[in-house]
Amino acid sequence: MKKVILIADDSPTIRKFVSFSLTMNGFDVIAASDGMEAVEKLPSQKIDLVITDLNMPNLDGFELIKAIRSNEEYKDIPIIILSSLSGSEEIEKGMSYGASSYLIKPFDPKRIQYEVSKYLN
Amino acid sequence: MKNLNMSQLFEKLNDVKSLFIYGQKIIPVLQSLVDFMQETVPLLENINHSIADSTSKIPRATDQINNVTNATELATTEILDLVDVISNNLSTIDNSLKDITEKEKIKSSVIEKLKALLPDNAEAMQLFQEYKDNDVTISQIEKLSEVFPKIQNDTYNITLSLQVQDITSQQLAAVNHLIESVQTKLASLIHDIDDTNLKEVQSSENYSTPEGATFDPNASYDKSGDRQDMIDEIIQSENQKASQDEIDKLFS
Repeated sequence: MKKVILIADDSPTIRKFVSFSLTMNGFDVIAASDGMEAVEKLPSQKIDLVITDLNMPNLDGFELIKAIRSNEEYKDIPIIILSSLSGSEEIEKGMSYGASSYLIKPFDPKRIQYEVSKYLN
Repeated sequence: MKNLNMSQLFEKLNDVKSLFIYGQKIIPVLQSLVDFMQETVPLLENINHSIADSTSKIPRATDQINNVTNATELATTEILDLVDVISNNLSTIDNSLKDITEKEKIKSSVIEKLKALLPDNAEAMQLFQEYKDNDVTISQIEKLSEVFPKIQNDTYNITLSLQVQDITSQQLAAVNHLIESVQTKLASLIHDIDDTNLKEVQSSENYSTPEGATFDPNASYDKSGDRQDMIDEIIQSENQKASQDEIDKLFS
């Protein structure tokens, strides 16, 4: 059975890039255009990993991580931040909220595959 | 007593005289001030109109920036769809070539067995040789297969390069935000100068960046990997810090 990855990003092109990079490596990818939609999609199927942007409307990436980590059912899901923000403040905040990895945009498809494999294989 | 009054009167007359002299001196200055004001008022009106005109054009500029973002987003998605199709097709061809290679190996083995069965048949041997000379060799197929990882790598690189769209869209959103701030400031300036122009500006305020749009004003298209290395270092040092904290906790 294929592992399912949820990508939350308000940029349609980034959602597409991530999908493209991961589906060719045998993962199923479902997409959400913001944190709120990601939270709504979490119960739809068993999510194995979440990739999230930080700057998003409605519910940003930090709040999404907080929501996932505070839910008993989803708290152990690995979360990878994928953002163009590279300040140490954001990185430290993201990691302290419970992110598993932090990747910078533009991302190397091989790096994202490596990070995903680290948690799912 | 009369003498004293007269002296005071002359004193006052002298004051009045000084005032007139001063007035005579100041009148040209006042005149030039009035002239200056008369020249400045049309200039100020011009400035006011220019500001109002620029402010009314700002929504069109931001609209155009948004159109550019939407167009590049659409084009990028289309290119990525095509890259996806190419990648899938390549994968199919690669798999087919692997199948063909296996079958060619079997065919070669069958031919060798047939040759062994007909060692004395010169005509058959000649046909076998002719077949061998015209056969697509396995090494040729394997050479083709070697190209696929390179093409796959190129598609990865296209994916990486196309991410410039996301970065530029964030930069454009930041520019839009800046333009809108300028528009707000100009609108308030116009309001201070002339109330009548406010309506014109307000009518053009329907435009704004799409609601809830988020962006990183410092987003940059840096493919070097230096920023990722820096992030990895921060995370590593954070992890070390965390483990040191855990050790301290254990022994406290």
